[in-house]
Amino acid sequence: MSTPTMGSETLGQLSDEDVPDDNATRTPVSGKSPIKIALGRLRRDKVAMVCFGIVVFFVLVAIFASQIASLFNVTTQPGNPSQQLDYLNDGMPLKGPPYNGFDSEHPFGIAPKTAKDNLASWLFGARTSVLIATSATVVASLVGIVLGLISGFVGGIVDKIISFVTDLFLTLPFLLMALIIAPILNERFALNPDRYQTMQVISLIGILAFFGWMAVARLVRGEVLSLREREFILSARVIGMPTTRIMIKELLPNLVAPIVVAISLMLPAFIAAEAGLAFLGVGITQGESWGQTILQASAYFELYPLYLWEPLIGIVVLVLALNLLGDAIRDAVDPKTRR
Amino acid sequence: MKRTKSLAVVAGFAMVTLAACGGDGGGGTAGSNNPSEFINPESDFGKIADAEGPAPEVEGATTGGTVTVLVPGDPGPEDLDPANGWSVLGNSIQQALTHRSLVQFRRDQETGAMELVPDLATDLGRPNEDFTEWTFTIKDVNWENGNPITAEEVKYGVERTFDSETFTSGPGQVYSVSNFDCGEGYTGPQDGDCPGITVDGQDITFKMQGAFPDMDFWSTFMAIGPIPLENSEFPAYGRMPLSSGPYKIKEFRVNESLTLEKNPEWDAASDPARHQYADEWVFKFDQDQEKADQLLMSNSTASQSTVSTGLGATNVSKLRDALGDNFIQQTGQCVSYRTPDYTKITDINVRKAIAWGYDFENITLAGGNIPGVTRIPASTIMPPGMSGRKEYFPDGEQFTYDADKAKALLKEAGAEGFKLSFVYDDSDAEAKAAAEQEKKGYENAGFTVEMIPYQEDAYALWDDANSPINAKLNLRGVNWCSDWPSASTMLPPLVQTGQPYNTSYFSETEVDDRIKEIATLPLEDQAAAWGDLDELIGTKYLPMIPTAYRNDLFGAGSKIGGFTGDAAMSAIYYKDLFVLQ
Repeated sequence: MSTPTMGSETLGQLSDEDVPDDNATRTPVSGKSPIKIALGRLRRDKVAMVCFGIVVFFVLVAIFASQIASLFNVTTQPGNPSQQLDYLNDGMPLKGPPYNGFDSEHPFGIAPKTAKDNLASWLFGARTSVLIATSATVVASLVGIVLGLISGFVGGIVDKIISFVTDLFLTLPFLLMALIIAPILNERFALNPDRYQTMQVISLIGILAFFGWMAVARLVRGEVLSLREREFILSARVIGMPTTRIMIKELLPNLVAPIVVAISLMLPAFIAAEAGLAFLGVGITQGESWGQTILQASAYFELYPLYLWEPLIGIVVLVLALNLLGDAIRDAVDPKTRR
Repeated sequence: MKRTKSLAVVAGFAMVTLAACGGDGGGGTAGSNNPSEFINPESDFGKIADAEGPAPEVEGATTGGTVTVLVPGDPGPEDLDPANGWSVLGNSIQQALTHRSLVQFRRDQETGAMELVPDLATDLGRPNEDFTEWTFTIKDVNWENGNPITAEEVKYGVERTFDSETFTSGPGQVYSVSNFDCGEGYTGPQDGDCPGITVDGQDITFKMQGAFPDMDFWSTFMAIGPIPLENSEFPAYGRMPLSSGPYKIKEFRVNESLTLEKNPEWDAASDPARHQYADEWVFKFDQDQEKADQLLMSNSTASQSTVSTGLGATNVSKLRDALGDNFIQQTGQCVSYRTPDYTKITDINVRKAIAWGYDFENITLAGGNIPGVTRIPASTIMPPGMSGRKEYFPDGEQFTYDADKAKALLKEAGAEGFKLSFVYDDSDAEAKAAAEQEKKGYENAGFTVEMIPYQEDAYALWDDANSPINAKLNLRGVNWCSDWPSASTMLPPLVQTGQPYNTSYFSETEVDDRIKEIATLPLEDQAAAWGDLDELIGTKYLPMIPTAYRNDLFGAGSKIGGFTGDAAMSAIYYKDLFVLQ
């Protein structure tokens, strides 16, 4: 007897194996959706689960940053450099790292020059990172999916136009555009300092999403192009299903896997991009950001390495966890990979 | 002289002989090598009317090489037009290297003292008995294009600075307009000749409205220098002005860089102070201070011929060890002020509350300076060492951070929770950190604070009556250095009605009248009169809160020789600089 090329669980009831009809002796093979199968595989993947735990940890940190900060009794307010720093020598903190032991008032130490608490900066930096990356991912993937679906399914002139726009956006240098847009926004919202911080976050999400949707759009378009000639789509058309319904009910469920993969790899890229822009001084300048802290800390690397390591480790661990998790998801949803 | 960076840098002229470093007997070198305390400026410059070129050789000087000057935290001059030159950075570069005026400063290599010597003129000017008329004779020297510099061109250069529309915030608007007798309402060459400036061959005579004994000091400014009669329209001329000094402009990129190369037409024999040692100068504006510090400390090949116009105070001990003699703590008659808007904050108690709520130490530290070393708390408008200065305290004692006192004053004024609005540069980490400290200080002192991020030149904003941002502000600032050792270059530009650097918009007829009156007093009484006026303004009106007297730190790599400070300009003395070969 030949072994089916795909696992019986994938094919479920459609398998060409004999379906046991004797319910009394064997529990029925329940219908499992591809997503459920993938989740099952993920759950057995130890690396993925560890990474998932890390990601959940960072998400919790981001959500409860203020509560955690008040738990440790730290704030993002600047400190008292004249009392807390040894400014006549090299400006390092009088208590806590780098020269002294652990300081329970400031578990992560304080920053040179400003005497700001590092833990508070780190917590709110995590919030900024996660918030911006998540929002940008949602926006970018929504735009990408919609445009990809339309482009692939409708075809013709619409496809040509959307493909052209996609290519056009791919040619725009992301960094350059971000560098240009930041000062423009600064000028526009300078009169509203209260809204400035929010606008900075929104505009950064906008910039990231604006230059991040193309990959998803192309991916979805390619998938749709191959799917729309398949029998189930043809039959849906034949029975007169409206186009939007075909797209949403027939096409989209089949695209879940590639979309999930794309999103899970987009997140870490956006986190890194957010930090990178902040490091260049065009990202978040109001409020906390890991990239900003890295920028300030890079000058003190020799004297006060911990100051630099804190945000750096935050970024590296989060991005690495997200990347590994993304890889694991891709493996899990792709029926062709076997481990 | 004015400013550079909005709230952290200034420009200026001081009357210093330096050398007052703790207990080294007031010895000779300009700039102390011991940055553990503030250096007070001293007074008086020598005047050597018969000094002749060429300038004395600097010991060990070699020719050739390129000097790279890093300018941290300062976007540099917007243009190089001599009529607009009124910043410490721009003037210290241009006056030393590219633009000659009638008179100049020279640093005595033995004593480190600054002295006034002739430049384009044959002497320091010949005043009549009551200083109402000054005559200079122009030497026979050439522009970079080989054309001779004439007295006519000097006259044109001076007349040009009267144009209040074009050179709104140039120094000529203060010193030329108020002193030269050009007739009421004269606004430059388009109004025809100024009758008060006459030319006879190479002689040029300035007639004054009253006695102007400081004309020789004022003549060190590029605004009292030649401008070619043709092709010198602003702003085109400001991008590429003709050079008369040892170097000419090769390339000028606004806010980025200035490259100078040798000017073959410059005649060393005519110049008692300048040298032409290096082949090329490259000034790089708006550099990152930390990076500049690290570069200098690295002692790499590239950094050995590099100079920094602003060392970071937090790296002081390491920089001092690494740079040795090329580490300079430079004093000047420079003061930082906070200026509450006099038209909006009308209650003096609120202004006093601001002074008590200004957290000097924390703001200074967060801004990258060291309290007690590069900045000390200030009390009077005139800086220490200025003749006539009277030590007084606007509110009875030295302002220190005292939140309770500020709260009490606010309560007295019935203005609890008073809202202060000021701008800060959120793209500059240090400026931002300092602003955050300031905000925290005010908030703890019972104010509410609105900080508006603004990344361009704050002075231009504060001078712009039409800007909606400026209209929102009620707390501004100014950093000022005296233009020459006289209170007449401190008080009038800062407190007289309508002056561009009077950023509190202070206007009181009593003060304006007194300023005019002092100019007519006998010379020997003027200094004391300025001191009294300072006290009157501080105690009766307090339109500006002096926050700090300033020292600056300069550094250079190991292959830079002749590296000294210019006590007159509170800047680096570029004239003696060379690259060791």
